Amino acid sequence: MSSAAESARSSLLALTRRLNEGCSDDRQVHYLGHSAFGPELRIERFAMGNGLSILLVEEHAAPTVAYHTWYHVGSRHESPGKTGIAHLFEHLMFNETEALKAGEFDRQLEELGAESNASTWLDWTHYDIAVPAPAFARVAELESERMDHLVLRTPQVESEKEVVANERRYRVEDDVEGALSELLWSTAFERHSYRWPTIGWMSDIEGFTVEDCRQFYRTYYAPNNATLVIVGDVEPEIVLKKLQDVYGGYARAPIVEQHIEPEPEQVTERRREVTKLTPTWKLNIGYRSPALGHADHVPLSVLSEVLFGGRSSRLVRALVRDREMASDVRASLSPLRDPGLFEIFVSAREGFLADQLLEVLDEELDRVQLEPISLDELTRAKARIELGLLSGLTTNEGKASTIGFYEVVLGNPSAGFERLAALSEIRVEELTEVARRYLNRRSRTVIGVRPQTQPDTAMPNELGGEGSE
Amino acid sequence: MSMHGPIILLERDASLPLVHAGICTRSGSSDDPPGLEGLTRLCGRLMRRTAGGQTADQVDARIDRMGASLGLDSGHGSTALSGSVLERSFPDFMTLLEETLTTPGLGEDELGRLKRETLAELTELLDSDQQLAQRWFLRSLFSGHSYGRTVVGTAKSLAAIRVEDVKACFERHFVRENVLFSFAGAVDAARAERAVEGIWKALPATGRSFDAPRDPTLSGGRQLVFVDKPERTQTQILIGTIGSHPNDTDYFALLVANTVFGGTFTARLTQEVRAKRGWSYGAYSSLGYDRRRQAFSMWTFPKAEDAASCMALELDMLTEWWESGVTEEELSWAKRYLMQSHAFSCDTAAKRVGLQLDEMLSDLPRGHHDQFVASVGAVTLEEANAAVRNRISLDDLVIVVVGTHAAIGTEVRQAIPKLSSDRVVPFDTE
Repeated sequence: MSSAAESARSSLLALTRRLNEGCSDDRQVHYLGHSAFGPELRIERFAMGNGLSILLVEEHAAPTVAYHTWYHVGSRHESPGKTGIAHLFEHLMFNETEALKAGEFDRQLEELGAESNASTWLDWTHYDIAVPAPAFARVAELESERMDHLVLRTPQVESEKEVVANERRYRVEDDVEGALSELLWSTAFERHSYRWPTIGWMSDIEGFTVEDCRQFYRTYYAPNNATLVIVGDVEPEIVLKKLQDVYGGYARAPIVEQHIEPEPEQVTERRREVTKLTPTWKLNIGYRSPALGHADHVPLSVLSEVLFGGRSSRLVRALVRDREMASDVRASLSPLRDPGLFEIFVSAREGFLADQLLEVLDEELDRVQLEPISLDELTRAKARIELGLLSGLTTNEGKASTIGFYEVVLGNPSAGFERLAALSEIRVEELTEVARRYLNRRSRTVIGVRPQTQPDTAMPNELGGEGSE
Repeated sequence: MSMHGPIILLERDASLPLVHAGICTRSGSSDDPPGLEGLTRLCGRLMRRTAGGQTADQVDARIDRMGASLGLDSGHGSTALSGSVLERSFPDFMTLLEETLTTPGLGEDELGRLKRETLAELTELLDSDQQLAQRWFLRSLFSGHSYGRTVVGTAKSLAAIRVEDVKACFERHFVRENVLFSFAGAVDAARAERAVEGIWKALPATGRSFDAPRDPTLSGGRQLVFVDKPERTQTQILIGTIGSHPNDTDYFALLVANTVFGGTFTARLTQEVRAKRGWSYGAYSSLGYDRRRQAFSMWTFPKAEDAASCMALELDMLTEWWESGVTEEELSWAKRYLMQSHAFSCDTAAKRVGLQLDEMLSDLPRGHHDQFVASVGAVTLEEANAAVRNRISLDDLVIVVVGTHAAIGTEVRQAIPKLSSDRVVPFDTE
């Protein structure tokens, strides 16, 4: 440890000792050490006696502070019949509390000049607030208030259910890509809770009761199920003292690690086809992919860039430029706690069918398993990933999101930069290996969207069938 | 820099090894000749793809190898070629930018490919109800004005564009008098100046400038455009009229009043439409500007069954806002919000350069963004309410609905008092 790091550690230990004098156990803040966040910044880790995790980065480049709260609950924790409650709950968190009437939470944030939002996904729920730095203390009061004092009543729950149902219409029912992705995941997963959409099935959204919401709140919203990430123009002493004041009185909840049924190995390809009002064929393909923490995830992310990242990637060149068969080709690799999907989306140009697109995709995906990629392709993919990471870190908001995401999914807030460092070690042969391991047709799921106006031409292997609408 | 040299806008921030760099022209698609809509955008994209006479594949690979992005942002009044690059590749990036601006190949083959790609994008647009609503709203609101013309082009206009047109467009826009350079991030003034030296020398000086278009006007009463698309469970609704421009003396007053009406999550529109009734996931109003006034618009997307009621409520709220104005309490809150949140308009080097560019490209009063907080703070209740009445027309409104006409067309029409005209257009009408 460098002398500067040692000095900072001593100073923070002394600070927490001072702050803890005369405090009950629940209210005490313990310094647990630091990790680097890039070459310049340090993430300081603390834990409160009641289990609240705190990650703090002093960054004085702009007079703002990002205050992010991550709850370790997402749609993976839901049950059939109650899908979408984590997301509905995210909406309800902006409602009434014991100290704030409905609408007051947002009103006060806006008056402070805050930018605030929230998101829910499979593994987590994330509330992000950015404010001018002097407003830090008030934000802590507001954010902590809703962790323990939310008021749930029928009118607000009913109104918010309507809002979420409208969000679902916007993102899924009337959106071809949204509907396609939902069908892919629900077909690819048969056991694991990743099989239902985070927004929930419409019938479940419509069926939630106030009691469902209260129970969800009591189960998952507690200090020992949350991580605060604070990045910005703040001083540790002021931050920690305030957090002690506002969260210190909250009790732990008995969080039980839910058993999530693992997805059994997929041994045969699954295919479905739906008909939609859309001008051209669409394809969505999901190959099995490793969890974010798996050693294969980094090389597979590089392979994804080689194949689909940007205009010089193999599939964009093949399908969009050279053969002019598609208007859009892209892929994403799930960044999840458990194994997910390497998801590929292709939108055909007029006159081309899904099976023609699939043939070209298969050619390229076979080739990358047989022949090593070039060193130049590897260099390009690594550079694109580096640019992507750095571009997301220009604001305190971006830094807090990156830190919180890796902390919640991997338990390692510095993992973004560690993955970047791991890139330099990646060899061409590793990409061939992961291509062979994961780009396996037997364990993929293929969803096709047939444009309503097209003649009755099916994809190969009887793609049209069980899922047709 | 001075009138005799290039204008370079620079904000240094070396905290990350990243540079944002770009070149903008003070002209855009408003200058596209009639029948050749989409020309400026096509020209900019073709320049990028054929930089230095290379093939598009070579250019794309070069950009990726550097760890860079380079894209075109094309609007009515400006065109920007800009991107980000890892600091270590900054010299290579500037070489590429120089080749893009001074020796683009602009070849026939790549133009053909690009036109076909653009046509495919236009086809894809039919999937997006939100973009369909936006297309018809702008087309109807700015009918007869260049702001109503498409930036992307149409099948017919794209087919009409020849290589000679693209070359003429390139020669017209990319001249010394018309370009601005911008840099943000890990780059200092000396390095930025060196980087533009070659480009500046190669650009011709023609003395040409591009005039702003005339101010748009709207007449014709309340006009409904129903974009008919089958099987919609939801609608996209845009209601609006001509808004304001920072050169208007009452711009800040209207901005504050709009913040009360629909500018934030707790504004009147969101509270009534979303929080109280749950009718729409989003409900906002906004004020846009270019070199001239753009639209004041309200945006909601209720389910089909609620569309007529939602629209009627919006029109009632608009009338109430116009007639009764905002309260002192609302005004104070909106001013505090705008003044405090301004910190996030300038919290990064790239955003600060963006504000400087906006000032120059949109013909804003000098110091507009620097004086933003003071200007908002000075707005009085009387000024805010007068601005609403002076700028916002209740009589001349464009209302665009994307939905299934057979299901809700009649109810929607009946929900609009004093409707002057209405028409139904199939969603796949170009």
